[in-house]
Amino acid sequence: MKWIKKIVVVVLVALVGIQFFPAKRNQDKTILSSDFTKTYDVPVNIQTILKTSCYDCHSNYTEYPWYNKIQPITWLLENHIAEGKAELNFSEFGDYSKRRKKNKLKSIASQVKDNEMPLSSYTLIHSDAKLSEKEKTDIVSWIEKNIN
Amino acid sequence: MKKQILTIGTAMLFIVGSATFIGCGNSENHEDESHEHAEGEEHVEEGHDHSDGHAHEHAEEGGEHHENTAAFEGEKVKDLSLIIDAYLELKNNLVLDDEAATAEASEKMLAAFNGFDKSSLDESKATEYAEIEETAVENAEHIAKSEIYHQREHFVGLSEDINDLIALVGTNQKLYLDFCPMANNNKGATWISEIEEINNPYMGSKMPTCGKIQQEL
Repeated sequence: MKWIKKIVVVVLVALVGIQFFPAKRNQDKTILSSDFTKTYDVPVNIQTILKTSCYDCHSNYTEYPWYNKIQPITWLLENHIAEGKAELNFSEFGDYSKRRKKNKLKSIASQVKDNEMPLSSYTLIHSDAKLSEKEKTDIVSWIEKNIN
Repeated sequence: MKKQILTIGTAMLFIVGSATFIGCGNSENHEDESHEHAEGEEHVEEGHDHSDGHAHEHAEEGGEHHENTAAFEGEKVKDLSLIIDAYLELKNNLVLDDEAATAEASEKMLAAFNGFDKSSLDESKATEYAEIEETAVENAEHIAKSEIYHQREHFVGLSEDINDLIALVGTNQKLYLDFCPMANNNKGATWISEIEEINNPYMGSKMPTCGKIQQEL
């Protein structure tokens, strides 16, 4: 019984300890000229969808949930966002080469169509980020019009 | 005693909570595993240069840019032979509906890109080469970690990349550009083949002979 107590204490101390590690915040408020919405003429409804359902992990500005303040969740989200941005960053979309833009647009359409994105682990918490059938067709048909 | 139980309870809650999150995170990022073998080996690293002159303060941090870390040993190759070989192997595995072997071939393609001596290209071609490499590597990375359905989606883009690459750099291999109107959700898609016979990588065993030769490369 004693060793369980010891382990619990160690874990607790570690958990408290890591709360003091600073975290990088992904909250750049300036909207770059390379932003997706400045690269294309994006209708307002699509802009809203992108901002609610995609930008948290795929742009330079994240609307953080309250529990982001707690480690190790902060780290997990930080990693997750870095990965998301490496794959696709709407804030820097305008800087992509023409070829990469086309590739990304295609991938966005197919990911949305196949319900791969937004991730179900994300919509579980952000229920407003879930895409309706109409929103999905809106995105896909807009992309198909703009892909070339 | 009550206090102790409370403390232990809180700790448990924390542990369970963080374990859940770690669990979630892992299921989503299995991409690292495939590259792990590259570590410790002497691998040639290409300067992945995003010299667009833009001051992205975040770009430098946290490894936001992809880096092709596939290991390549030996002398760099001045022609496209390794890249084309990997592409054809990948294509032939898609024909066989073999997801695992397709993924393996795409790893070879990543290594082949690292093994290509791009410094031998003249300056006028360097930018276009860099753009093609960037998307080809991205497509190959996705193929390496996806289900066959998704592999085929990225194969559409990869085939365009390799076709453009051959147009840019050239090859003395005899190759054909094939086209299937039904691939890519009936939008049509091309692929490159080393044989005259049609073996469709998009349809696989469902419709192996769909398509025709569009062009000799």
